[in-house]
Amino acid sequence: MNYLGNTSSIRVLTALVVLLLTACSLPLPEPVLVPVERPLDLVGDVNLIQAIQVPSENSLLEIGVQVFGTAQKEAGEYELGDWVFDEIIQKETQFLPHLLKNTLVDSGQWGAIRVVPESDPSLDLIIEGQIIQSDGETLELQIRAIDSSGREWLNQIYADQSIPEEYPESTRFTLDNTFDAINFVDPFQDIYNRIANDLVAVRASLGEQILADLNLVTDMLYASDLSPDTFSGSIIENDDGLLIVDTLPSLDDPMMARVADMKYRHHLFIDTVDEYYQTLYEDIQPAYVLWRRYSIDQITEIEMSQQEASRSDYGGSSGFLSLSQRYDRFKWSKIFEREFNDLAAGFNNELAPAFLELNSQVHGLTGTMEQQYREWRGILRRLFELENGEITTDSTE
Amino acid sequence: MLIKVENVVHERGLGLSLLASIIATLCLTLSISAFSQDSLPQLDLDLPLRLDFSGSWEKDFRRSDNWEDELSRTLRIRQESTARQQSSPGSTRRRSTPPISIGNVNLPRSRGRGANIVDLARLAEYISRHSIIDIVQTRDEISIERSGEAALICGVEYKLQQTFANEHGVEVCGWEGQQLVFQIMLPDDLIIMHRFTVSSNQLVLNLLTSIYSKGGEPFNLIQAFNKYEAPRDEFNCIQTLSRGQVCSQAGTDLSTVLDDF
Repeated sequence: MNYLGNTSSIRVLTALVVLLLTACSLPLPEPVLVPVERPLDLVGDVNLIQAIQVPSENSLLEIGVQVFGTAQKEAGEYELGDWVFDEIIQKETQFLPHLLKNTLVDSGQWGAIRVVPESDPSLDLIIEGQIIQSDGETLELQIRAIDSSGREWLNQIYADQSIPEEYPESTRFTLDNTFDAINFVDPFQDIYNRIANDLVAVRASLGEQILADLNLVTDMLYASDLSPDTFSGSIIENDDGLLIVDTLPSLDDPMMARVADMKYRHHLFIDTVDEYYQTLYEDIQPAYVLWRRYSIDQITEIEMSQQEASRSDYGGSSGFLSLSQRYDRFKWSKIFEREFNDLAAGFNNELAPAFLELNSQVHGLTGTMEQQYREWRGILRRLFELENGEITTDSTE
Repeated sequence: MLIKVENVVHERGLGLSLLASIIATLCLTLSISAFSQDSLPQLDLDLPLRLDFSGSWEKDFRRSDNWEDELSRTLRIRQESTARQQSSPGSTRRRSTPPISIGNVNLPRSRGRGANIVDLARLAEYISRHSIIDIVQTRDEISIERSGEAALICGVEYKLQQTFANEHGVEVCGWEGQQLVFQIMLPDDLIIMHRFTVSSNQLVLNLLTSIYSKGGEPFNLIQAFNKYEAPRDEFNCIQTLSRGQVCSQAGTDLSTVLDDF
């Protein structure tokens, strides 16, 4: 009997458990959910297109890579121990954007690129990401890029798979074998290369005039964010639903000079925020790579275990040796999974101080990095109003 | 006049003290509500309250079944049952179990038959060798650690929970009244059931392990455990990924230890 190793065997097991439990008058369990294999459209091997010459000034768009999101599970979907892995994904949402940002910087195709906690009206292009799946073997991201006028540049899923050989020996670092961060290439670098190349392709299709207009829209959008009463009328929506500049203040308008001053201060702030995200990634990179290495080891181990189980033939023997072997295989697979969960919890423990540090960075501001960012934007708005004598009762409180 | 002044002062004093007591009451009420909102954990009434299984438990060998004695007793009962059935041929039998005895090597081992009772008994003994159990119980979850075995972990909810499933077996757990039940379904219809019961004074823990094979009669083994005070750990340890266990002396804040690395 070719026992188990396929989904029908799992169903047989479940059915028998259900029968036994019915006899024991316990309520029936939910059926075992066999994950449906989704075909992944892998990006393959991708070389990053790097700029040979400095692109035109209008092409040097300022990009914000927003901290990623992740699909939240429904309350009923959680199983015991799931929270540990949920916490890891939550952490990945904060530092995977940094890898994309580094790739965009390496391409030399863009202006300033920063990781930002939220969408930012002072930037030309915002990249949003959702982590669909992330482990040592597979990374699947939903990426959406939208410019300040509302034009969608990208909205698609990118997936890549790694192999154990992409994790060099230095990922199992010890005191004698330290992690080589400089020469380490992320096993999912192809995804980031593909996204960067796709963005360049979209930009090339737009033309110089659209890019020049985009820079103006961004300027007026930021001015409108600072002082909606003064500037909101200068931007309108065209027939395509895109924002365009309707009226432009004169070049020597003192208000615009103040807006530019505020934008400069704001960019100094988001540069600092971006540096914190970079420091966070540098702090945790060795542990994160090690974690991914453990993750791919575990996936490989499970695949071997499944193959072994499919080869096992328990049907012909019911002796003690056969019974104890069945029990031991179950026991060790469970212990192995528990150890993996412990490693995941250990990874979270190890990263906790780095995240605490990130959230306590900006002096004078409180809360998470997202809250500090919002607080800062509020401060700039009030400052702008003060400088322009637009003090309202609310803003002075 | 003095009396009048005194009265006024007295009345004012009364008014002030009344005002003060109102303010004090208000402050107390506010502080109590603030305290109750901030400091006290909210009790989730949807979660059932379970008996407390937590603590360190050591096996009471005197009160626990000896597997060989239990095997002999089970065999004797089966033989008597078989004899009764033979003497009254009309009576129905739950299943056709051949007469067996220890060392009977002639048991049929076809696919249709389960393991013999001796092998089930030996398996029961094999998985019950641990003499110490450590149980940690929270408002949401109970975790049972046995040396050399995988931990048994279950939530406290009413519903049945699947705690582990792979190609080597499926484990579910649930509560029957105040008994905690784990069932492990292994390949070839081998089923292991652990049923934990704690005495009302929480000093004695009973563990009934039943082993079923292909729907046949189970072999049952009861073990009793007494609570004992395990020595307190001298160190607080926290698991990390790259540095393994990071420990500090009990009473030290571990976050400062992690920061130091």
